[in-house]
Amino acid sequence: MADKEKYLTKLFGLKNLHKIEVYLQNGGYEAAKKAIKTKKPQDILNEVKAANLRGRGGAGFPAGVKWGFVPQGVEKPKYLCVNADEGEPGTFKDKYIMSHNPHLLLEGIIITSYCVGIHQAFIYIRGEYEMIARRLEKAIEEATAKGFLGKNIFGSNFDLEVIVHRGAGAYICGEETALLESLEGKRGHPRLKPPFPASIGLFGCPTVINNVETIANIPFIMARGAEWFTQIGLPKDGGTRIFGVSGAVKKPGIYELPLGTSLRELIYNYAGGLPEGKKLKAVIPGGMSAPVLKADEIDIPLDFESLMKAGSMLGSGAVIVIDHETSMLDVLRVVSKFYAHESCGQCTPCRVGVAWINKIVQRIAAGGGQPGDLETITRLASAIKGKTLCPLGDAAAMPILAIVEKFKDELLDQIGSLKDN
Amino acid sequence: MVKITIDGRQVEVKEGMTILQAAESIGIEIPHLCFHPAFPPEGSCRLCLVEIEGRPKLELACSTIVQEGMTISTQSETVRQARRSVLEFLLAEHPLDCPICDKAGNCQLQDYYQEYGLFDSQFKENKERKSKKVALGKNLILDRERCILCTRCVRFLKEITRTGELGVFQRGLRSEIDYFPGQPVDNNYSGNLAELCPVGAITDKDFRFQTRSWFLQSGPSICPHCSRACSIYIDYHVGFPRVELDKYVYRIRARENPEINDYWICDFGRYNYAYLEKKRATKVLVRENGQAQEGDWDSQIERLVKKIKEFYLKKKTNRIGLVLHSALTNEELYLAKKIFQEDLPEVNIFLIDPPEGEGDNWLLTPSRTPNLKGLELIGLQPQKFPPEKPLTELEILIIFAYLPHGEDQYNQLRSLLEKSHFSVLFTAHQTALMNQVDVVFPTTLLAEKEGSVVNVEEKLQKFPAALTPPGTARSEREILLTLGRGLGINFSFYRQLKTPAAVFDQLSQDISYFRGSK
Amino acid sequence: MMDLSPETRKKITQLTAKYPQKQAALLPVLHLIQNEMGYIPQEAEIWVAELLGLQPVRVKEVITFYTMFLEKPIGRYHLQVCTNLSCTLAGAEHILNYLIKKLGIKPGETTADGRFTLTTVECLGACEQAPCMMINFDYYGNLTPEKIDEILDGLE
Ligand SMILES: Cc1cc2nc3c(=O)[nH]c(=O)nc-3n(C[C@H](O)[C@H](O)[C@H](O)COP(=O)(O)O)c2cc1C
Ligand code: SF4
Ligand code: SF4
Ligand code: FES
Ligand code: FES
Repeated sequence: MADKEKYLTKLFGLKNLHKIEVYLQNGGYEAAKKAIKTKKPQDILNEVKAANLRGRGGAGFPAGVKWGFVPQGVEKPKYLCVNADEGEPGTFKDKYIMSHNPHLLLEGIIITSYCVGIHQAFIYIRGEYEMIARRLEKAIEEATAKGFLGKNIFGSNFDLEVIVHRGAGAYICGEETALLESLEGKRGHPRLKPPFPASIGLFGCPTVINNVETIANIPFIMARGAEWFTQIGLPKDGGTRIFGVSGAVKKPGIYELPLGTSLRELIYNYAGGLPEGKKLKAVIPGGMSAPVLKADEIDIPLDFESLMKAGSMLGSGAVIVIDHETSMLDVLRVVSKFYAHESCGQCTPCRVGVAWINKIVQRIAAGGGQPGDLETITRLASAIKGKTLCPLGDAAAMPILAIVEKFKDELLDQIGSLKDN
Repeated sequence: MVKITIDGRQVEVKEGMTILQAAESIGIEIPHLCFHPAFPPEGSCRLCLVEIEGRPKLELACSTIVQEGMTISTQSETVRQARRSVLEFLLAEHPLDCPICDKAGNCQLQDYYQEYGLFDSQFKENKERKSKKVALGKNLILDRERCILCTRCVRFLKEITRTGELGVFQRGLRSEIDYFPGQPVDNNYSGNLAELCPVGAITDKDFRFQTRSWFLQSGPSICPHCSRACSIYIDYHVGFPRVELDKYVYRIRARENPEINDYWICDFGRYNYAYLEKKRATKVLVRENGQAQEGDWDSQIERLVKKIKEFYLKKKTNRIGLVLHSALTNEELYLAKKIFQEDLPEVNIFLIDPPEGEGDNWLLTPSRTPNLKGLELIGLQPQKFPPEKPLTELEILIIFAYLPHGEDQYNQLRSLLEKSHFSVLFTAHQTALMNQVDVVFPTTLLAEKEGSVVNVEEKLQKFPAALTPPGTARSEREILLTLGRGLGINFSFYRQLKTPAAVFDQLSQDISYFRGSK
Repeated sequence: MMDLSPETRKKITQLTAKYPQKQAALLPVLHLIQNEMGYIPQEAEIWVAELLGLQPVRVKEVITFYTMFLEKPIGRYHLQVCTNLSCTLAGAEHILNYLIKKLGIKPGETTADGRFTLTTVECLGACEQAPCMMINFDYYGNLTPEKIDEILDGLE
C-alpha cells in the first residue's frame, strides 16, 4: 500500500542509481526534457502552485508561491540555492536523496531553474558531507557531458551551471539568509528581513532557496501532474515525506510516507516499535526544534497543520523516539547545549539567553540545581521566544519550554535526587 | 505623508520613516543600542521592540517602516516586559564595574537600565571571562567583558572609514571584537570609536581614568585645525571649590552636523587640544631697552593707535605692515579689511598661515586653518609672501600670530621683523616671536570666541564662545574694534558694532554670500 | 610564500573563477588549504585574503565562526564523536568515555604521538546509525567498544 505511493525513494534499492546511465534507464531526466522542450516557465509555475508543494526544510512554505515572488524581467541575474545543510538534529533524509539519487536532485534543479529563469544554482551542503559533495560533483560532470547541464541544455537555448558549495560546521547556515551570507564567504549571520531573498538574496540578487527534498519532488510533479500529487497525502499538503526515524526504535532509518500518516503508525508499523523491554516516553516529531510530544500524544497525523495544532511542528520530518529509561534532564541538557553552541551570537536574547539557560541546565545536571531553576528557565525561554532576529531563538526556546512544561515533575525529582548524591 | 498612531497620539509623518524616527520626531524615545543613524539598521540588540496592532510578534522600531494606519505602542506591558528582558540579558554577562568605568554617566546601557530596567539580577551562573584590557590601536582600549556586541565599531570601520580593522571573532556567547594580529585600528578616525561605543567597552586612552563625565560641561565650538572646520564639543571641567585642577579641558568630541562632519571628527583634531591651555599668553608685555615688562592694555593700544595715526596723517600708510592668518573669524577678518584695506590705504597686508600638512581625502584638509574661504569671500587681498621685490622699510609691523604647531612662526617672519622699526604681536601663545617685538598682546582662541567661519566647502558655521579666556586675553574682534574707533577715520561705523552679531549683520549687508544665512 | 601543491593551486584558481564574486570562494578555498595542510596557519589567512581581495581580518572572522576550520594543527586522525540527542539516546556517553580511556585524552586533546585528536560534535546527520562518529571525513556508525577497537586497529 504505502510502497505503491513511494516515488522519491522508490529506486533507492537499485545498484549504481547514482550513475547517470542507471538513472536514464529508469526514466531519468525525462521530466526535465519535457519541461524545457514543451513547457513555458509559467506553465511549470502554475503546476507547482497547483500541487501546493510545501517546503520540506522546516517551515513548510509553498514552493510555487515562493518562486512566484521572484521578480521577472529584471536585469540582475537570479540564483537558486538548494539547502542541503541538513543540520537539524535527527535529520538525515537529504543525505539519502543526494547519495542514492543525485541526478534526481539535479533534474529538480534544472526544472526549477528553467521555471524561474535561473542560470546558476548552488547546492549548499553541510561540510561534513564531503563524500556526498564529491558524488554530486561527479553527477554534475556526467550530466554536463550529456548536455543536460551547461550551455544549451537539451538543445534549447537555456544555460545552467550547478555548483556544489560546502559549509564548514555551523547549524545556523541552514537558516536561509545565514546560508546566503555563508555562500558569500562571510560569517553565517542571519539577515534582517525584509527584504526577503526572493527580491534581494545572494549577491543582492533575487534568489530561490529550497530544501533538497522539496526540489526532489519537482521532477515528479512535472512528469505526473499536480493532480496526481495532491491525491497522495492530504489535499492541501500533498505528496510524501521522507521521515527520518532515530532514537529508541528497532529499525531507525528513512521512511517515505504520504503526509498525514499517523505518528504511531510510523513508529510502530514502520520503524519496528521500541526495542524489547523499552517503553515509549516521548517523541520529538520534526527535528530537535520541534516541541516534544508525550507518549499519549502520538495518535496524530504527520502533516503541517495537525502538528501545529498540537503545539509542535512537522519541521524536517525527523522523528526522535525517547524511551522510558532516558532522563528528560539529559534531553534538556543536550538540547540546550546544542542551541548555545550553535547561536550565531548576533542578537542579544539568543546569544545571552540561550547560553544562560544552558548554564543553568548544566549546573542542574552537575548536581547544583536550586529551587526556582525551572521557573527561571521558563521565564528566560519565554523572553527569547518571538524576539530574536532569526527563528533559531524560537527553535531553542520552544523545545525547552515544552520539556520543562511537560516533564516538570520528573525534572524536579531529578534535581532533588542529584542534589542528594 | 502617512497617518499613524503612536501611544494613542495621531500623527502624520514622512513616508519611508522608520518607527524609531517617527517616534523621535514627536518626542517619544524608544530605547535602542545597535541602531545608529549613520548606518542602516542592524536589528541585533533587540531593545527597540514595539507592538504594532494586528501583528502577532513585537517588531523592531529601528527597521520597520511606518505604514498608513499603523497603530504602535511603545509603552504597553508586553513592550516593557520585552525591553526589561533584553536589558536583563545584556546585563547578565556585563560586569558591574560602573564605579570605575569611564563611560559611567554617559552610558546608554546604564541610562536605559535606570529608565526601563531596575530589576534585581537573577543571574547566578559564572560570567564569561574575557580580556579586559586589549589595546585596539594607539588611542583605544577594549574591555571585552563590557562589550554588548552591537557591532557599531565594526560597522564604522567597514562602512565609514572603510579601513575595516575590527571584526567579530568566534560565535555565540564567545563572540568577541578583535583585529587581525599585527593589524590594529590605525586610521585618523579611531577616536570616534570611543564615542560610538554605547557602553564603556571601547575607551579612549587619552581620557581613561582622568575624571568622571558628570563633572564635565560641554561647550559647542568648531575645530580650528583644518579647513573642514568640523563641529565639535569641548568638554571642560567646571572645577571644585578650593581644589586646583591640573586640567581644564578634558576632551574634544564630535558635534553632529550633517552639513559638514556628520557624527565624526578626525584624530588630528580630537587629540590636539593641549594648546587650549599650554603656554598661553596672559599678559601685555612691553620691551624697553631689551627688557620685557608687564604693560597695560589700554595705554599700549593707544600707543599703537597713535603711531598708526601719525603715518596716516603723513600719508605714509604704505610703511605699515599687517600680518594676518586665516584662523580668525569672519567678523575679525571683516574688521581687519575695513580698517587696513579701506580706512588706511596701501597697508602691506600679508597672509601668513601655518604650512600645509597632509590631508586624508575625507575630513582632514591639507590647509590647517578653518577660515581660508571666509577670508577670500570677505575680499581681503593680501600680498604675496615672501614678496617678489625687496621689501621697503616698515615703520610699524602688526602681527596676528596663528596657532603654534611645532614650527615657529618667527622663522617665517624674520625678514619682515628685520625691516620694521616698531612691531606689535597679538598672540594667544608664548612663543619665540615674543622676544622679537616691542609689544605683546594676549589674545583668545576660537574656542573662546563667538563668531563664524566658512569652511572649505563654503559652508558657514556660527558658534558661541565655549571657554573662558585666560588672564587678560582679549579677542581680536575687540582689539580691532578699539583700533577702528581709536583711529577715528570712520568712528560711527565701528561704534555701532558692539557684538559679534552686529558685525555679522554689517558683513552680510556688505557681502552677498553671507546674506540670508542665520 | 605559501607552500601549496600545484594541484591545490590549480583547483583554487578554477574555484575562484566559478563564483560571481571572489569572496564567495572563501569557504571552498579554506577547505582546500586545510585538506592539504591539516589546518589553516596564519600565513595562509593572509594569503587567501590577498587572493580574494579581502582584509585578513575578514578571513579570520570566518575561520573562527565555523567549527570545521582549524587554526592549529591536530592529530592525524580527527575523531569527532557525536553527542547530540539520537546518539545520546543510543549511548554516546559510553562511546565517548571508552575513547577517553582508550586514548588517554580528553575531548579537545591530541595524543602524545600526534595520531589522534578527540572532539565532541553536534549531530552529524547520521542518527539512524547512532551512536556515531567521524574520523576525518569517514563516517562510522552503530559504534560499540569492540567496533571502535576494530576501527582504530585498522588505521595506519
Ligand atoms: C536555525 C535554522 C536551521 C535550518 N536548517 C535547515 C536545514 O538544514 N535545511 C533546510 O532545508 N532548511 C533549514 N532551515 C529552513 C530554511 O531557513 C528554509 O526555510 C528552507 O531551506 C526553505 O526551503 P523549503 O521551503 O524548501 O523548505 C533552517 C531554519 C532555521 C531557522
Ligand atoms: S536568534 Fe540566535 S542564531 Fe538567530 S540571529 Fe539571533 S543569535 Fe543568531
Ligand atoms: S566594543 Fe562597543 S561598539 Fe564595539 S561591539 Fe562592543 S559594545 Fe558595540
Ligand atoms: S536598535 Fe533596533 S535592534 Fe538594536
Ligand atoms: S544525533 Fe548523532 S548523528 Fe544525529
